[in-house]
Amino acid sequence: MMSLKEFENRNVSEGAYYKVDIPDYPETGWEKAKQVFSRAIKGELFVGLYIVMREMIKFDIHTVQYPKEKLPIGPRYRAVHEMQRLWESGTERCIGCGLCEKICISDCIRMDTKIDEQSRKQVTEYTINLGRCIFCGYCAEVCPELAIVHGGRYENTSEQRAHYIGYEDMLTPFDMAVKGQVAEYPGFGAITPHEDERVKSTPLAY
Amino acid sequence: MVNFKINGRSVTAERGDTIINVARREDIYIPTMCYIEKTSPCASCRLCSVEVEGHDGFVLSCNTPPTEGIHVITDSESLKTERTNIMRMYDVNHPLECGVCDKSGECDLQNKTLEFNVGQQYFSAKDQPRKIENWGLINYDPSLCILCEKCTHVCNEVIGDDALDLLFGGYNSKVIPKNAETLDCTFCGECIAVCPVGALVSSDFQYSANAWELSKIPATCAHCSAGCALEYEVKHAGIDSPGEESIYRVSNNFEYATLCGAGRFGFDFANRASKDEAAFDAALSALQNAEAIRFSSVISNEETMILNGLKAKLGLKLFNEDARHMQTFMNAYANVSGKRHYSATLETLKASDGIIIIGSRIATDNPGVRYATTTAARHNGAKVVYMHPLEDALLQNTVTQFIKYEVGTEEGVLALLAQTLLVGKELTQREQAFFDGLDEGYLNAETNVGDDELALLVKQFMRSKSKTLVVGSDLLAHARAENIAHLVAMIEKYSDFTVLVVPTEVNTLGVSLIADLDIDVASKNVVGYNAKGSFVISALGDGNLNVPALNQQEGTVVSIDKRLLPTNVALSFDGYTLNDLANALGVYAKNTIDYTAALPVESGFQAVEFDSLENFYSAKGADIRGYTLNEVTAKRGGHPEDVDELPEFNGAVIYHVNPVLQFNAFTAKTVQLEKDNNLYGSASFAAAARLGDGDAVAFEYAGETVRRIFKLDDTLKGTVALHPTFDLGLNVTSGYRFEHVNFYERE
Ligand code: SF4
Ligand code: SF4
Ligand code: SF4
Ligand code: SF4
Ligand code: SF4
Repeated sequence: MMSLKEFENRNVSEGAYYKVDIPDYPETGWEKAKQVFSRAIKGELFVGLYIVMREMIKFDIHTVQYPKEKLPIGPRYRAVHEMQRLWESGTERCIGCGLCEKICISDCIRMDTKIDEQSRKQVTEYTINLGRCIFCGYCAEVCPELAIVHGGRYENTSEQRAHYIGYEDMLTPFDMAVKGQVAEYPGFGAITPHEDERVKSTPLAY
Repeated sequence: MVNFKINGRSVTAERGDTIINVARREDIYIPTMCYIEKTSPCASCRLCSVEVEGHDGFVLSCNTPPTEGIHVITDSESLKTERTNIMRMYDVNHPLECGVCDKSGECDLQNKTLEFNVGQQYFSAKDQPRKIENWGLINYDPSLCILCEKCTHVCNEVIGDDALDLLFGGYNSKVIPKNAETLDCTFCGECIAVCPVGALVSSDFQYSANAWELSKIPATCAHCSAGCALEYEVKHAGIDSPGEESIYRVSNNFEYATLCGAGRFGFDFANRASKDEAAFDAALSALQNAEAIRFSSVISNEETMILNGLKAKLGLKLFNEDARHMQTFMNAYANVSGKRHYSATLETLKASDGIIIIGSRIATDNPGVRYATTTAARHNGAKVVYMHPLEDALLQNTVTQFIKYEVGTEEGVLALLAQTLLVGKELTQREQAFFDGLDEGYLNAETNVGDDELALLVKQFMRSKSKTLVVGSDLLAHARAENIAHLVAMIEKYSDFTVLVVPTEVNTLGVSLIADLDIDVASKNVVGYNAKGSFVISALGDGNLNVPALNQQEGTVVSIDKRLLPTNVALSFDGYTLNDLANALGVYAKNTIDYTAALPVESGFQAVEFDSLENFYSAKGADIRGYTLNEVTAKRGGHPEDVDELPEFNGAVIYHVNPVLQFNAFTAKTVQLEKDNNLYGSASFAAAARLGDGDAVAFEYAGETVRRIFKLDDTLKGTVALHPTFDLGLNVTSGYRFEHVNFYERE
C-alpha cells in the first residue's frame, strides 16, 4: 500500500525509472530473416492453440455470455437512477424537495409537484433526460431522503438521444418494497456506515 | 433631533424614529424576526434586543426611541447568547419539513437558525396535534407558525380588515380568524407575504414550486390605478407543456408596499395566440375602413401613442369615454387650480391625518387608496370622512364619519363642502358671489346633507394638520363633472386640503394625458381595442385579432400618484401586436417601447427611454420606479358656475360597482378570484323594485340585456343595489355609475 507521504513526493525521477529489456529492432536483411525464422520455428503458435484446446475440453469457459450474463459492478458505480420506496410501507421516499433538480449540473432533472388531499406535497411527474445526464451523482448525494440513487443498469438504447426516463421507470415496484425485497442501496448516495452513532437525540423531559 | 451613538458611531434620530430605524438607516445590522417596517412594532421576537451603556439588561430596539447621548451596543457576547437562546426556543419542535415547505430558501427562520448556528434541539416541550386550516385562498399550518404577529398587525393596520387574531394559550397559541369560524376577509394575501415562515401560504401555489426555481419579473399591477409594484414569479409550465412558461405566483416588497388580492391572485390573464395572417389582414382593412377606434384604459401609454399615430395617419376618431371624462374633469380642474395635475399621492395620503373620500366605493374601486387610508387612520389617528350614497362595511373600521348624500346630487354636495371648507378664505369676487348665491336650504334638502353633519366634519378636522380630499369616479363621469372639478380645485387652491383624484382604470390617467380623444358617438364602423366594436382587437382572447395582455408586454402606465411606471413581459406572446398593425399602416416604430421617450412633455412626461426606467424599492424603502410626472402649469380662468337643478333618482337604482378583487374582464378571466356576479340590494330596494331574494332578473345595460340573480343583503341600506360589471366582457359603459333601471322579464 502506498501512503500519503509517497504521493506527496513529486520528485518522480528519483529511482522511479527502470529500463525495459527490449531487443533492438532488426535492421539488416539478415537480421530480419533471422527474426522471421525464429518466430516461425519456435512454435509459439502451438502453445496458444494448446491452451485453447485444453480449456475447451475442460469446459472452463471464461467468456461472459453478454447480454445473457453480466459481470457484477461495484456498488459505487453510477448508472441509471433508481427511485426507492420505504421498507414495509412501500411509500415513495421522494418528498419532492427539488434539491436534485436544483443541484443537477446538466439541468436534466425536471419535476412537477402539487398538494395532495392530505395537504402533503406530492410528486406528480419526474423526469431525467438521460441524453444530457452526465451521471455525476450529485442528485443522489444531495437527496435528503435517500430516495434517488444510482442503480446498476448501464445499458441504454433508444431511438433518440434525448431519451427521457420517467418516474415510473425508476421507481422500485411496490410489491418488492412491501415484501422487503429491496435491500438498502449500498452504492452512491447511500448513507455512510455507522451513521446511527452520529445521530444526536432530542432531549425529552416528558 | 436626537444625537446618540450606536457601536461608537455618532448618529441622529428624527422625530418618531426608534433605535432600529436609525440603525437600519446607518447600515448597522440588528437581527429581527417580527419586525416589519410598515406596521407598528410587533415586539414579539425580542431578537432586536440591544444594550445601552450604563443600563442593566436589554432594550428592544424596535419600539424604543433613542434619548439624547445614549450609547447603544448592538452586538456583544451577552446579546449573542440571548439571541441564540431565542432562536433555540423558536426551533423547539419546529417541524423538520424544509424539504417540502414553500418557504424554504426564503425563510427567515431557516436563515436565522443558520445564522445562530442552532444545529440541534436543546429544550423540549410536548408537542400536540395541530390542524392545518384551509381558509379559501389561504392555508394556515399552525405547527410552522412562530407567532410573530406580523400577519395580525398588517391585516389590522394596513389593510383594515382586522380579520386575524392571535389565540393565546401558551404552547397552544395560534392565529385564528377574528370573531369568526373561518376567514372571511377581502383576501389581499398580504398576511401570506409578510409571514416569515411557511405558516400562511397561498393554497393555489402551495407545493407547486420552490422559491429558487422561480424567476421574478418586476412589473406593475394591471388591474387598478394604484399601480402597485409586483413581481410575477415565472417557471416552466410543467413536464407536459414543454417550452411553455406560466406565472406561479405574485410577490411584492411587503416591507414597504402592499398588494390587494387582485394583484396577488389575479395574475393569469395572459392571452395565448399565434400569428394569424388572415386575422391580421382583416384587422388592417378594418382599421383602414373604420370611422373610429374605441379603446379601454387597460392599455399602456405606448399603445395609446400608437393609437394617436393611427388617428393622425388614417383620419380616424379615438373613443375612450372613461379617459375623456378624466380629461374633461382635469381640464376644468386645471382651469381653476392653475396646475395640470392634482396635488396628492398615495404617500401623502398615508401621511395625512384628515381625509375626506367622496364619490367612490373606494375599498373596491381602488384598494391602494383604501390601504393608504387605513394606514393613515391607524398610524396618524387620521379622521376619515366618507361621503357617498351607500355606506361601505369594508370601511367601518376606518371611517370616523359617514355622510350620506342622495344619488345624483354630487354637485350640490361639493358646493356645500366647498362652502364649509372655505369659510373665511379670501376668494375672488366671482367665487364669493357663487357661494353667496347658493340656495342652501334647497341643497340641504336635495342632497340630504345637513348643516350639523358638515359642522361635525369641520370639528373632526380641527386638529388635523395635513388633509386630503379623495375624489372618486362617480364625480368624473357626472353630467356636471366640470363644475364639480371647479369646486374641487377651489378646495385645493384655498384650503389646506390636497386633492387625490382616483382614476377609474389602470391607465385612465395616462390615456387622458396622451390621447387625442373624440366624443363617443354610436358609429357603426368602429374598431374596438379591448373595447366594443364591429371589429374587435382584444387581449382577452375573444376578439377578431389577438393582442398581448398587459403582463405580456413592455410598456408604461401612469398611476394615481402621477407616476410613470414600467411593466415587463412576464409571459411571452407569439401573435401580432398593435405595433405590428401600425407598422403595416405606415405608423412606424421598431418596438412599442420606442414611444416611451416620445410621450408628451407638455403633459408632464419626460423624454426618458424605457430601458433606463427602474422598477424597485431600495433596501431602505425609497420608491425607485419609473419617474414622477413633472408639474405642468395651466392657464387659469375657470370659476364655478351656478349649481344646476339637482337630479332625482327615485325608485330602484343600481350602482355599477364590482365586488372585492374584481375590476374588469381581465380579472374576470383569472382562476382564483371569486366571481360573484349577483345583484345585491337591501330590503327597501327589494320593496321598491318588487324583487325577492333569489329572483332572476333582467334589465338593459349598455344596450344589451343583462341577467342577474337578486340577493338580499342586510348590510345594505336604501334603495340602491350593487351591480357588478366585471363579467360583462367588453360591454361596459363609462357613464355615471348610478342608473335607474326597469327590471323586466322576471322569471
Ligand atoms: S432530492 Fe430526493 S427527495 Fe428531493 S426531489 Fe430529488 S429525489 Fe425527491
Ligand atoms: S417554515 Fe422555514 S424553517 Fe420551517 S419548515 Fe418551512 S422553510 Fe423550514
Ligand atoms: S388576506 Fe388580507 S384581509 Fe385577509 S386575513 Fe390576510 S391580511 Fe387580512
Ligand atoms: S402566521 Fe406567520 S405571520 Fe402570522 S404569526 Fe404565524 S408566523 Fe407570524
Ligand atoms: S388591483 Fe390595484 S390595489 Fe390591487 S394590487 Fe393591483 S394596483 Fe394594487
